[in-house]
Amino acid sequence: MRALYTAATGMMAQELNVEVISNNIANMRTTGFKRQRAEFQDLLYQSLRRVGTVTSDQGTRLPVGLDIGAGVKVVGTPRIMTQGNVLQTEKQLDVAIRGEGLFRIQMPDGRIAYTRAGSFEIDAEGRLVTPEGFVVDPVITIPQDAASITINQQGVVQVQQTGQTAPTELGQLQLARFVNKSGLEPIGDNLFLETASSGAPQPGNPGTDGIGTLLQGHLEQANVNPVTEVSDLIAAQRAYSMNARVITAADEMLQATAQMLR
Amino acid sequence: MENALLVGLSRQVTLRRELDVIANNLANLGTSGFKGENVLFEQFLASGAREDNFESPLDRQIAFVIDRETRTDLSQGAFEQTGSALDVAIDGEGFFVIETPQGDRYTRAGGFSINATGELVTAAGYRVLGEAGPIVVDPNDTNIAIARDGTISTPAGERGKIRLVRFENPSQLTKFGDNLFSSETPPNPIDPRTRVVQGSIEKSNVRPILEIGRMIEVTRAYTTLANLMSRSDELRQAAIERLAEVPA
Repeated sequence: MRALYTAATGMMAQELNVEVISNNIANMRTTGFKRQRAEFQDLLYQSLRRVGTVTSDQGTRLPVGLDIGAGVKVVGTPRIMTQGNVLQTEKQLDVAIRGEGLFRIQMPDGRIAYTRAGSFEIDAEGRLVTPEGFVVDPVITIPQDAASITINQQGVVQVQQTGQTAPTELGQLQLARFVNKSGLEPIGDNLFLETASSGAPQPGNPGTDGIGTLLQGHLEQANVNPVTEVSDLIAAQRAYSMNARVITAADEMLQATAQMLR
Repeated sequence: MENALLVGLSRQVTLRRELDVIANNLANLGTSGFKGENVLFEQFLASGAREDNFESPLDRQIAFVIDRETRTDLSQGAFEQTGSALDVAIDGEGFFVIETPQGDRYTRAGGFSINATGELVTAAGYRVLGEAGPIVVDPNDTNIAIARDGTISTPAGERGKIRLVRFENPSQLTKFGDNLFSSETPPNPIDPRTRVVQGSIEKSNVRPILEIGRMIEVTRAYTTLANLMSRSDELRQAAIERLAEVPA
């Protein structure tokens, strides 16, 4: 019975769908998280009667064929890169991006990773780092005697040093953008890597060339909408049980066949 | 005597295929742009034996059943708002044109993305065709807007128009897998009333309640036939036993 295997593909696809949805819900409060969606496609079809086959000497043709599909597959889990809500935190090293672009982060192994999560800290050497201690690129070193740090919309970092009236400019935060930001590879820790399908990063200062602006003292929330996730979860669960019912139905039919022989 | 068995068998074979089709519909309950299918049956008349072998004109024809075609239900599926700028749903009749290595294919699944070179592509990576070839956006483009007629524009200017087509006879479309349809006849331009909706995706048009109902019907019909066939088998068995009894 082909129906058994077809329904099994449906169950597997819905299982993966539930996994994707549960990951979205689990990361509902993750800074800079972008939700994913499972994208399905139908599998190949078996033509039992091909459309357009000549059916008589008069040249009449079959208007419609008899095609039986083999189920469903998951083609990908594209990331929806829409802007998340911006939440005020009043922490001076929290930076949210409004618009396009990602922060560049130097990984310990020398690679460059990208992130939307702008909750930065200062390490022992005064450098701006992520909560894991990875250095933000370009490196910004904050002097020991800095009283207050200001990051403006264009990414210019300034400090007020004790005993001085004029602020000192420390450097410029840069962002990178990608033509296909959904094609970035997630590596966990809110970080992404460049891939062959994301395109090359195009660095630039915030507020220029279509890159978004920065907002100090704020963090970008996950773009997960709990209501849609929960309704998607219900739909996925129901689809799963319906496919399970098909297996039961196929089983009943096989049983009826088996009982014909007595 | 065998006829009851064979007629029953012909129906059972088609019922199994119908369940296969239902299984495929239900498996694709979450596939965007998927169009459900129905199996149509027809009577297939066959004489019990060659007429000229018989003198009697009362020789009846026996009706078998065969499955003639699977008809794709091309009705509109529900729209789901996704918020993604590159998700496009067609409101009305029509298809997107997708360039594949095997030639142009057609789809209603509008969950597109942009590849590394800035081209609009499907989830499988095939290019979406515009009125003037593939649609390419500039790497610096932001805020991609897709108008109701399919024109793609960014603050920097127009980037092309999504090509939409329709078919004179949509029933000749065959499913190609990957949410794509293939056609033997060239497409026609769409009705200007057909609109596209940005930020939405057309869901599968499979109606689960209907499918489950059909599934119950299929299993019940199958079991009934199985019973009927074993009854007629018993009947024959009894007949053989009785008729073979030699009175002592």
